Amino acid sequence: MTGRERSSEHWDEAEFRGVFLQHYSRIVAILIRLLGDRSRAEEMANDAFWRLYRQPALQIDGNIGGWLYRTATNLGIDALRASGRRRQYEEAAGGSREDGKNSSPLEDLLRAEKCHRVRAVLSSIKPVQAQLLILRSSGLSYKELADALNVKMSSIGTMLNRAEEEFRNRYLALHPNEEEL
Amino acid sequence: MTCIHDGNLRLYLDGELAGAELAEVTEHLASCANCLACLEKVRAARAETEAVLATLAPAADDVAIDPAMVYAQFTSQFAADREPKPWINRLLAPRLRPVCGLAMLALIIAILVSVNPVRVWAQRVLAMLRVQKIQVVTIDPTTLMSSSEHDSRPYKLFNQFVADNVVVTMDPGKPQVVSNPTTAAQLAGYPIRTISSLGAPHRIEVNGETAFQMTINRDRVTTLLDEIGRSDINVPESSNGALIAVHIPKTVVSMYGDCPDRQRYVNSNSESQALAERKMERMANIKDTNCIYLIQAPSPTVSVPPDLNVSDIAEAALELAGMTPAEARSFCQTVDWASTLVVPIPRNSSSYETVTLDGVEGTLITETLSQGNRYSLLWIKNGVIHSLAGHGNSSDALSLAASLR
Repeated sequence: MTGRERSSEHWDEAEFRGVFLQHYSRIVAILIRLLGDRSRAEEMANDAFWRLYRQPALQIDGNIGGWLYRTATNLGIDALRASGRRRQYEEAAGGSREDGKNSSPLEDLLRAEKCHRVRAVLSSIKPVQAQLLILRSSGLSYKELADALNVKMSSIGTMLNRAEEEFRNRYLALHPNEEEL
Repeated sequence: MTCIHDGNLRLYLDGELAGAELAEVTEHLASCANCLACLEKVRAARAETEAVLATLAPAADDVAIDPAMVYAQFTSQFAADREPKPWINRLLAPRLRPVCGLAMLALIIAILVSVNPVRVWAQRVLAMLRVQKIQVVTIDPTTLMSSSEHDSRPYKLFNQFVADNVVVTMDPGKPQVVSNPTTAAQLAGYPIRTISSLGAPHRIEVNGETAFQMTINRDRVTTLLDEIGRSDINVPESSNGALIAVHIPKTVVSMYGDCPDRQRYVNSNSESQALAERKMERMANIKDTNCIYLIQAPSPTVSVPPDLNVSDIAEAALELAGMTPAEARSFCQTVDWASTLVVPIPRNSSSYETVTLDGVEGTLITETLSQGNRYSLLWIKNGVIHSLAGHGNSSDALSLAASLR
């Protein structure tokens, strides 16, 4: 962020481009995890960047990545919750991955089923916990997680433990017969 | 020492501890079976959850994204959003694109490289003409901003400059949708041709007349150039105070295939709605391959003071757009500015060739995009500028043009 023109109300185009190129692919990948559907994920990522663009850069100076990850996952989790447990959507979502690659139709089906369950659990726990889990599993570092959730890095360990515990409990409650979780 | 909090055990497991903290935890674990058991519990819980969540990981090819390409779509939205109001909005409003169909050709290309000032200047250069022939000049837009790392200021200055200095004297209003070429010809006042091999156009729009003017204030131009770090460009002294007035006659746009509905978002009530719809259109546009535009436009007329040296101004503009002074000078010396439409195209993503069609010479410009080629064929026949644009193989343009009736 060094050298940013502080008086600017609008984005410096070169800088915005840099931010876009830096984060776009990762944001889409995170949203694919949440939504299971690439075109929806892209649409939502575009929405997040569009919102970022409409934000005067100054307001989120220094933590653009955090703002983006937070906004994108909020949008994704909102959508996940809104779509509730509609099966059609989940099936469509499950069908979009790994098509035709070394996996039998049965494996695909089981995987889709499992994705559905994982997403159902994610949409049932506290949004901030779902955010934390999805971002961590997408490979964000503690520093990035702290930026995205506006918390101290030292709190992340405890938060992760709590979120995972909550996730496991709900998962088992919803699917008590699942052996290997 | 008291036992370790599970949050810290987690930090330890994730490799997030360092220095004294790390040493302390390591030392404690070595001697505390209780904490070691806790650590194993945390480790197991972490592994279980990670394994379940990993189910959601997208397939590798699902995340192969070219953000630069996606970004190109965004820049076109930025353009709509950040241009000064009201003048440039009107000129760049989608409904008016056909009016400036020719200038817009350069603009469309410029959008791809996201250098807005090129567009602004391109229009300016294009406007100063009475067109009888077309000439393409390749520019290198990346040099435009080379002197300034943070280019938001140049953008603002440019936009402000345009907003302050250009006055719209004739507003074209909304385009009129007509049902057939005969009606279009009656409205436009000149014969309208169609691409017979494609059947009847799916949509025909007639755009009203447009006029705008600007008085050159050399001090302001010089200040602008200084501020954007291009004080090397010399603005001819003789240009000071010159009034440049542009008049664009009625133009006719015929669309074939599944072209985006241009009218739709013009009629939207709110700006945000219009933007949202425009955004969706842009997204759709990328995949929109069978849409073909045929634009017919009589030459715009440009009035300038008789003693104004258009060539010198054009030279400055082309330098600004990325030509070296020597290139700009030698190009400008070969061009008859009174009769030539100059279309700047970026040299890295576009190519052009001279072709013969319709009994005249034309220019075929091909843009290479990541999702395929886009072509624009330009020629002038009976005083009417024709522009035929579509996606795909540029040789299609010639066969389509051959079927013009």
